[in-house]
Amino acid sequence: MLRRAVIFCWVSLGLSAVGCSQEPEPTQSEPRLECAPVSPAPAGARLLTRVEYDNSVADLLGLELGLAEKLFPAENTVLGFSNNLEAHQASPLSVEKYLEAAETITQALDAEKLAELLPCAAPEVDATCANTLIETLGKRAFRRPLQPAEAAILRDLFTTSSAKYGGAEAARLVIQGLLQAPQFLYRPESMGAPTVESGAVQLNSYEIASRLSYFLWNSMPDAELFAAADLDQLRTAEQIEAQARRLLKSPRARRVSLDFHRQWLGLGRMSGLVREGTQGVQTADKQEIDPSKLPAAWQASIEYFLTDLIFEQAGSVEDLFTSRSLYVDAQLAALYGVEAEYQSQAPTADGFVKVELSAKERAGLLTQPGLLALLAHPDQSAPIQRGVFVREQMLCQPIESPPPSVDQRPPDPDPNLTTRERFAEHTAIPGCASCHDKIDGVGFGLENYDQLGRFRVEEYGIPIDASGRVVEAREERLNGKFSGAVALSKKLADSAQVEDCMARQWYRYATGRVETEDDACSLQQIRAQFAASGGNIQELLVAVTLSDAFRFRVPGAQDGVE
Amino acid sequence: MSSSGNATGKRAGRTQRALSRRALLKGAGGALVGLPLLHSLGASAGPSSPIKRLVLMYNPNGTVWDAFWPTGGETDFVFGEMLTPLQPFRDRVSVLKGIDLAVTAVGPGGPHQRGCGGLFTGRELQEGTFTDGCGSLAGWANGPSIDQVYAEHLGISTALPSLELGIRATAAEVRGRMFYKSAGNPVPPVNDPQQVWSRMFWGSDGDPDARLVQMDKRRSVLDSVQAQFASLNPQLSPADRQRLDAHQVMVREMELRLELAAAASGGSEPELACPKPPNPGSIAFDDAGSMPLVAQLQMQLLALAFSCDLTRVGSVTFSSAINDIGYPWLGSTDSGHTLSHAGPSDEAAQRELINRGKWQAEQLAYLMALLDNIPEEDGSVLDNTIILWGSEVSLGNVHSHTDMPWVLAGGAAGALKMGRFLEFDGVPHNRLLVSVLNALGVGVDRFGHPDFAVGSLSGLEA
Repeated sequence: MLRRAVIFCWVSLGLSAVGCSQEPEPTQSEPRLECAPVSPAPAGARLLTRVEYDNSVADLLGLELGLAEKLFPAENTVLGFSNNLEAHQASPLSVEKYLEAAETITQALDAEKLAELLPCAAPEVDATCANTLIETLGKRAFRRPLQPAEAAILRDLFTTSSAKYGGAEAARLVIQGLLQAPQFLYRPESMGAPTVESGAVQLNSYEIASRLSYFLWNSMPDAELFAAADLDQLRTAEQIEAQARRLLKSPRARRVSLDFHRQWLGLGRMSGLVREGTQGVQTADKQEIDPSKLPAAWQASIEYFLTDLIFEQAGSVEDLFTSRSLYVDAQLAALYGVEAEYQSQAPTADGFVKVELSAKERAGLLTQPGLLALLAHPDQSAPIQRGVFVREQMLCQPIESPPPSVDQRPPDPDPNLTTRERFAEHTAIPGCASCHDKIDGVGFGLENYDQLGRFRVEEYGIPIDASGRVVEAREERLNGKFSGAVALSKKLADSAQVEDCMARQWYRYATGRVETEDDACSLQQIRAQFAASGGNIQELLVAVTLSDAFRFRVPGAQDGVE
Repeated sequence: MSSSGNATGKRAGRTQRALSRRALLKGAGGALVGLPLLHSLGASAGPSSPIKRLVLMYNPNGTVWDAFWPTGGETDFVFGEMLTPLQPFRDRVSVLKGIDLAVTAVGPGGPHQRGCGGLFTGRELQEGTFTDGCGSLAGWANGPSIDQVYAEHLGISTALPSLELGIRATAAEVRGRMFYKSAGNPVPPVNDPQQVWSRMFWGSDGDPDARLVQMDKRRSVLDSVQAQFASLNPQLSPADRQRLDAHQVMVREMELRLELAAAASGGSEPELACPKPPNPGSIAFDDAGSMPLVAQLQMQLLALAFSCDLTRVGSVTFSSAINDIGYPWLGSTDSGHTLSHAGPSDEAAQRELINRGKWQAEQLAYLMALLDNIPEEDGSVLDNTIILWGSEVSLGNVHSHTDMPWVLAGGAAGALKMGRFLEFDGVPHNRLLVSVLNALGVGVDRFGHPDFAVGSLSGLEA
């Protein structure tokens, strides 16, 4: 493979014309917003994602088939998130797959399983039985009681089919009809009228039940949420909060947290990762490390870390950036030199144990080896990627793309220079420095970790320089010098800007939208509650459910108010 | 034809295993295609009106001009190095120079976004929240692409409206979506050949009577689904209604196509005798080393779909504008996007880019060979096919949208001048799209953004 060694960043004429300078976001120092008593947000009918479809089918019919994951095209993504209202939509292919999935699902409903769904004991399903099925299963599928016209459509389907194919098969076809109906595939939120005072539409209890369950469980409401909705008891903040806290206690909330973090942190790119440098590293039982197994182990390690921190420890943002915990399997234990600790504990079913690393070497998410390996090149660390990652994902400050004439290829490793020295050449170039001051000042601070996420103090015998400097953060106290990832993480752990950024990321995931001006007041409510909880991450999720954006929507044209 | 056999090290084993699977897709006689063209599902096409087919091909991040543009004149041209694989089909290839993506001057978005959105739609992007650096935001393309317009023009005449094939086309956003059913409604490619195969032969098992019963059940279910859409419709906001209406139309069209296929297979004379090839099996389709194999399988499936008249419209998407992938079998292992930013003085990088471009041309030549092996009337399916190949920028290191690297291939049923090197004077590519649509018999005088949609490309039409 040919790769040039130097002239990493060269700038052609006209940089200023190509570059860009605006950051389209509010500044941290802006005064507190004056908000109306109710600040509704836009809403739209969200199409179920693959995860949501599979979970909903499992909860609705007791069938865990994972068909959407196998059959449906991948969602389009915005800012890493796959549940975006605007981006995720139906296509001719997905419409075929909805049909195929519905047929496959009812094929899996054999006589016994069908009997479990049916409200009648009769071997032959008659019209009365079918009507009850339509009302009960239909209500769960549509996540609200059926309107008379909707039920009539399904009764017609049953009647026609029953005459030809018998009651049981007709019931299966009714289920196919439910699974392909827009009321199942989408989550329309169009009921209700705006109140006179606020001009906002308060979502009804069924709509709130769905919002809660899809946000916190990635699935349809359970019996308790339906019961609360039946009594119209998801109206007040107290009622919603009680349900949100209940849902957060379930293992399903952990599943959602992992889904969110995979999208926020880009962990989906972990699959197939190739990182060099494991030759000669052996596990305790003298096995050479298999590098093809590392990506899955890194992913699992980060996921254990997050789940433990957020749910078992009820951790905060501060904990997220200071915890020294690391989950390792046999290979990771060998790679990170914690075999003794690994050996001394009983592992989980898939072979992981939790160990504590040195406070001098590790602090929180940013020093998780899997994340550092993800943010690396195959043969060396990637200070630029790491810097951009912190700026964009942790600080919510997007970095402009380099001008097209910039050669973005990483310089080749050189035994006479550290990675930093090789990458630093471009910051000396005036045209590059304006952006790279922001990126490199952070990225070089993570140079104590190689492409495998291992801690190091030297490269080729040359001491590592992990000094860094944060510039142009919106929060003034973040700016300034630091030395090493532990110090950087300490800055982030105490940062209001990081708290704000996390709130935004969860908000995007919860609402399926990228925030706009309409969301500013809701975000302010969420941030205030999040901060008041000491930055507790579970409390952040509760705060999202209590925000105006979660409970009130802007009226649509059909509501007669524009 | 290039093979995927150059992979080294660990990857080679996987490729080898996958290659053996490819043998499964081949019939006893060798290539899977080369089947005689069978009866059309739709209205019978007489000899005077051959079935015309359209394939759009995309590869990312532009080209290297010196290796791409031919030298010489309109008819005595000599291919540049990158396009030499097309030499066997020289009489059915035209290289078009001097055509700009002028529409990229309009609307929001970064250069890759605008290029992807406008390439086959001739349209600007909508406002939206997809990012492309610089905090620049954009939405989807603001109109349909010509493949979908042609599919619409054909109506319900084949079992599938169109076939979107991806070869590591993983960017599920505006920089990875070139094909649109309508404004804001992209059509995604399928990267897994096994999934393509399943889609093509979905429901083809079972005896004809069973398939008629199945269709009857589907009809009842889908009619109820249509009724549910209608029932929900009045309660929706305008934005929701637009999305759900689009969905409802897709359900209706699917039902009509299913009816068509069921009728064809359930008649007294089994008309559709298109043999179903074996399942290609599970392939590591997102593996760098598998890419050449996946490309070949996908194009075999496309040729088969044409041969069986399962569809007349296809697209082949290589990677995406993000293109963060290597071509390891060419010894080019780094991100292609990063590579494309190298300057013209960087000879090593230019060599890698040329090798990649040449490989792309080999893929086109492979598809052409497959289509040319399917006899149709006096010639081959290739003679009645238009393949249009483009990229979202012209040169990666400046993101230019002038002198776009367009290649037309196939016989175009005699409607377009082929075997030419045609030079234009900076005309908007909307005219090229108009000419292609007209060559297919769609009959339009403008296409895409109104500022640029002025007539066809004079000089191209035969």
